[in-house]
Amino acid sequence: MLGCYDFCGHYEWTFEWLRARRGEPLVREYWDKAIAQDSQTHAAARIAAKGIAGMKEYWGHTLDHEAAGYHCTTTDNVFRIDMHECPSKGFLIRNGLEQYRDYCDHCMGWIGPMLKRAGFVVDHQHNHCGKCWWEIRAASDTTPPSAPGELSGEHDVRLRTDWTQAPPLDTYSRANDPDDKTG
Amino acid sequence: MPSDASSLPYTDSKPVGAADFYLAINATFRFVLGRFGIAGLREYWTGLGAKYFAPVSARWSAGGPAAVAEYWRAFFAAEPGAEVEVDEGTDAVTLDVKVCPAIKHLRAQGREIVPCFCQHCYFISEAMAAPAGLTVRIEGGNGACRQTFLHRDAATAPQDFARIKEATC
Repeated sequence: MLGCYDFCGHYEWTFEWLRARRGEPLVREYWDKAIAQDSQTHAAARIAAKGIAGMKEYWGHTLDHEAAGYHCTTTDNVFRIDMHECPSKGFLIRNGLEQYRDYCDHCMGWIGPMLKRAGFVVDHQHNHCGKCWWEIRAASDTTPPSAPGELSGEHDVRLRTDWTQAPPLDTYSRANDPDDKTG
Repeated sequence: MPSDASSLPYTDSKPVGAADFYLAINATFRFVLGRFGIAGLREYWTGLGAKYFAPVSARWSAGGPAAVAEYWRAFFAAEPGAEVEVDEGTDAVTLDVKVCPAIKHLRAQGREIVPCFCQHCYFISEAMAAPAGLTVRIEGGNGACRQTFLHRDAATAPQDFARIKEATC
């Protein structure tokens, strides 16, 4: 049986299985169709209906269940996550699992398109070592991302001494697409 | 981490998995089935068993039926909602799956389950078992089943897929 305990391991293995057969476009299609529009329909429905309040409900529940080390900051206009210990990437690192070239892309791969359909864009950085931050705003809101510490204070992952380390950060600005990054 | 996590090839800091990942497993099967057909889905499952689970095969090769039983006890201890009895006999290990945690959660969440969902247990386990000189036979499914791991030369007939039920909501 395929279990949920080590899900992130066979999930990451699946990315490379798909890529090896029909290339990166199939991996992107998988994240959107299978994850955003099938597996995570409960997230999409909640966020489409409630906006930022729905994000708070969904990620609060999900990240608690996955035993993540994270902090959420919510205002009327922005939802921010500071991920200090990604349970998913952390599992892969601890177990030496790396089949696909950049596992971290999967989050933007399904969350980005889901948020686009709900009318939101994302500012985001991940450091490939289990740490990242997200700021999600309405697509009509042109406010730039916050400066380190400005929005989430001491919880801001960018204030950590181990935030910037090799490999380089991937950066997304008002994005909804996993390939819309500078790194 | 489960108390007997050392029997698992990959371990986490949490005691059990997050059940919502069963939703993604089911969705992944549906996606692969839609793009590659049933032959492609079976190839995907076989690849998982042969490659991703290769460390399990190695332990089974070294440890025989005791290692098989030890693995499945640890595995189901980390799956939320599972009710499974593992019986280690002289020549075979039998899993009496009274409550399949995946089917249980998919039903609780009102999800459409891929009809051939239960076949994944055969194809993945068979690919894990073969390098260790073992094979698996499955009977039942759709929430409860019986899985028997035995030596390949002790199997009198190939798996009869008619004995693996289609999964329903």
